[in-house]
Amino acid sequence: MRDRGATTATVDAPATLDGLALIVRRPLVAGPIDAFFPLRPGDRALVEMGQAVVRGGPLAERLREPRTAVVAGPPPEAAIGPGDTWVPSAQHRGRGGVPEPGGELLFRVGGRWRVATADAMEPLDAPFPGIVREVRDGIGIRLRSPAKGVLGKEVLAGPTSGRLEIATGPDGELRAPQVDVSAAGAILVAGARIDAEALTRARAVGVRGVIVAALGVKERRDFLASERRGRAGVHGVHPFGILVLDGAARRPIASPVMAILEALEGRTVAIVGDPPCLVLDDPDLELPLPAADLVRVRSGPLAGAEGTWVGLAGPRHFPAGVSLEAGFVRFGDRPPIAVPLGDLERFA
Amino acid sequence: MGTVTIPRAVLAVDAGFATTAIAILGRPAGRWRLLGSLAGPSPVDPDDLAAILVGRIAAADPELAEAVGLRADAIEDLPRLETRSERPQTLAVLGASRRAVGLVEAVAARTPWRVNAASPETHDPREMTELALRADVSAVLLGASEPPGPDERSALDDLAALVAAVAIRRPEMTVILAGPVASRAAWIDGIGDALGDRADRIIEAPPLRLRAGPDEALREILEGLLPRSADTRHTAVRTALTLADVLGRRVELLEIGLEGGLRAVASPGVADQGPAVVAVRTARAGLIAPDPEQGSVEAVLAWTTGSLDRHRMGDRLRDLRAQPWADASGDGARLRLAATRAALAQLVALTPELSAMPSPDLTIAAGGAFALAPGPAIALAIADVVRRMGATQIAVDHARLLGPLGTIEDPDERRPFVMDLADDLLAPLGTVIIVGGMPALKRRTAPFGEIELTGDGAPTKHELLPGDLAFLDLPAGDRALATLEFRDAIRVGRRAKRLSVPVSGGSAGVLVDLRDVPLRLPERRDRRRAALVAWGELVWPADAR
Repeated sequence: MRDRGATTATVDAPATLDGLALIVRRPLVAGPIDAFFPLRPGDRALVEMGQAVVRGGPLAERLREPRTAVVAGPPPEAAIGPGDTWVPSAQHRGRGGVPEPGGELLFRVGGRWRVATADAMEPLDAPFPGIVREVRDGIGIRLRSPAKGVLGKEVLAGPTSGRLEIATGPDGELRAPQVDVSAAGAILVAGARIDAEALTRARAVGVRGVIVAALGVKERRDFLASERRGRAGVHGVHPFGILVLDGAARRPIASPVMAILEALEGRTVAIVGDPPCLVLDDPDLELPLPAADLVRVRSGPLAGAEGTWVGLAGPRHFPAGVSLEAGFVRFGDRPPIAVPLGDLERFA
Repeated sequence: MGTVTIPRAVLAVDAGFATTAIAILGRPAGRWRLLGSLAGPSPVDPDDLAAILVGRIAAADPELAEAVGLRADAIEDLPRLETRSERPQTLAVLGASRRAVGLVEAVAARTPWRVNAASPETHDPREMTELALRADVSAVLLGASEPPGPDERSALDDLAALVAAVAIRRPEMTVILAGPVASRAAWIDGIGDALGDRADRIIEAPPLRLRAGPDEALREILEGLLPRSADTRHTAVRTALTLADVLGRRVELLEIGLEGGLRAVASPGVADQGPAVVAVRTARAGLIAPDPEQGSVEAVLAWTTGSLDRHRMGDRLRDLRAQPWADASGDGARLRLAATRAALAQLVALTPELSAMPSPDLTIAAGGAFALAPGPAIALAIADVVRRMGATQIAVDHARLLGPLGTIEDPDERRPFVMDLADDLLAPLGTVIIVGGMPALKRRTAPFGEIELTGDGAPTKHELLPGDLAFLDLPAGDRALATLEFRDAIRVGRRAKRLSVPVSGGSAGVLVDLRDVPLRLPERRDRRRAALVAWGELVWPADAR
């Protein structure tokens, strides 16, 4: 296994025709970040196009437990229509003299409006400072930041922000007893995998987010159910997000990603879902990048192993009688071995 | 008048979501030949693949490379036939009742659109508005019967007004109104004069039919909304059509990719009638559903022999969807083919009119899902799912040329390419003979019949048991006459005790399938696995069992 020998050398060196170019290139860092925050009908945007927002500044109010209400609504001659927010006046009464709820007008039929409404709202705060690039009621808000983002595979819940803390090594697994209140407000790097109990505890003690290499289907389902219950509760839940770096099956965090996370430890970072990434504030921050010939095995029996690219091995026979294009990879000091090209990734 | 220079070599590129395949076609002696092919994980640059392939061709046969002008430093100069898989666009499908939305969803599912359906019985108005407004939704389809059914009447006005409001809020969105919606007061009042000069984005379509009927009109409208492109599934149909005409045989094309599938049956031209094709492209038949836990896990588990539980299967499928090019050997190869079977079953379920056609002369398996598996395993996977009685030769589009060749729009220009390449572009797997109408027998261990292959060499005989699955060796390029004799009458297109069919060989040889038609797998999981294991042992090498 190769040491985590991250360097500050660029990996933009042209891939030579020895076959390195045939390996999937995994982008590590992207920027600037155009984050999209989806809104649902009834959610109310609190920002306008071109507006600058600070971290924690309000972007929108979201409905909690939204529902549809049928109301008399504004008169037909009123200059508002679908998508607009209607707030009934204090004197306004509906059928039977009952006060009507306000909300976002959906459509009018039979002289009555359908509105999206709820008994309570919850704030959607900007997880990083930026400029609002797009506001579409009922659809979403786009926020741009010149900052960089460490790209992951997907984000559950969120957005959120907090200081980055490394709780375990790249191939470790964060357990519930390891999570305590000292981590409140932090985004924890949780290693290769985390179980549902640790996620529940992290959320309970005020952790703002978790970064993990892999999250299984069961943990995902349990977490999302817990999230729904929490949002339906009286007091709601504080922002919390999970950034999944690789996928579902257990594997360690890739060393180039871990090197970047270690460089960011203690800084305030944000997790956003679209694109799924960890946003850093400082666009000028120098991040460690790996050597150009570093390759990582993404799947198969050697999943997670890292080595150096030696060259193309040509078509080779592999178990199950399949013939695949392969490349030679040297793991540590051992002789190079042939690995299917599809099982490898390199970094950029 | 200038002279037309025919290129000596062409680069064919099929850029899929999982893999990008390239092939180099050369014309060394006045005839197009496949010189080589190579595939790499997407989004690899086709030029990088081509440079490596050209290097290999030049190393193996420098004179050939010289004759067709292949040089690693001149890849950019090669003329290209390039196609790519298009990501499905999302269509929100609404109906005033569960029945109505089911009807319209069934039509939309037989198109390349990814369909999200809702009705007032499953979603409230706010949820339906949310579904239609989502950023990834490109069009909304509202379907209603003519006249509206009793179950539709109470909610149809609500839906008309809802869709009108969505059309106002998303001015870039196309709206399809299938049935008597545009004439309803709720629509007219709701849409008002908001359309302005963009009235063309509201498209009226035929109403829903209470019973299943031809759906071409609505499907054509939906397919017509998609941008004209060099989508692989679109262009491959053209090549299948030309191939059927060139070979003079009925050809079925089964293609499974990451984001969708294609089933097409092409027939050669007869007398003064040109060749004809019936094709269905669908996003529902992708290798793995976008959310595997909802769409794929159970279907794939039904075809697996391992000990994965539902959660672990979900993990594997999520990873396979995220990295469809990876884990293609060993256990991963079997999982991939199990997912392919599940996708193929979905494709077959969506195309009953094609299943009802007689067995084609040639069945072509195409797409990344079939690209890596061993030949016998592909033949068995197709026989497992496409249970059409009769005999068909099976081949694989191994160099993924069907899509690129279809980018030649003019059939007269495409024909000479396909005619020259007919022997090269398909890798023969063998012949599958599916026998149906087997009588129920108490003793399944006693021979029920036998098959004899008579070809160039010594005749081969094999005894057949009820429910049997038999592979007989017949190398690629060899032809033989298969004579099947049974104790009682069986059905292979017609009822008979004895029949003879010409067969051709391949890596799978001749597969005689006497299992149920349609295939009935045991309900109990352990018995189902045992059956799948027994069949799998016939086609997978020992190291993968």
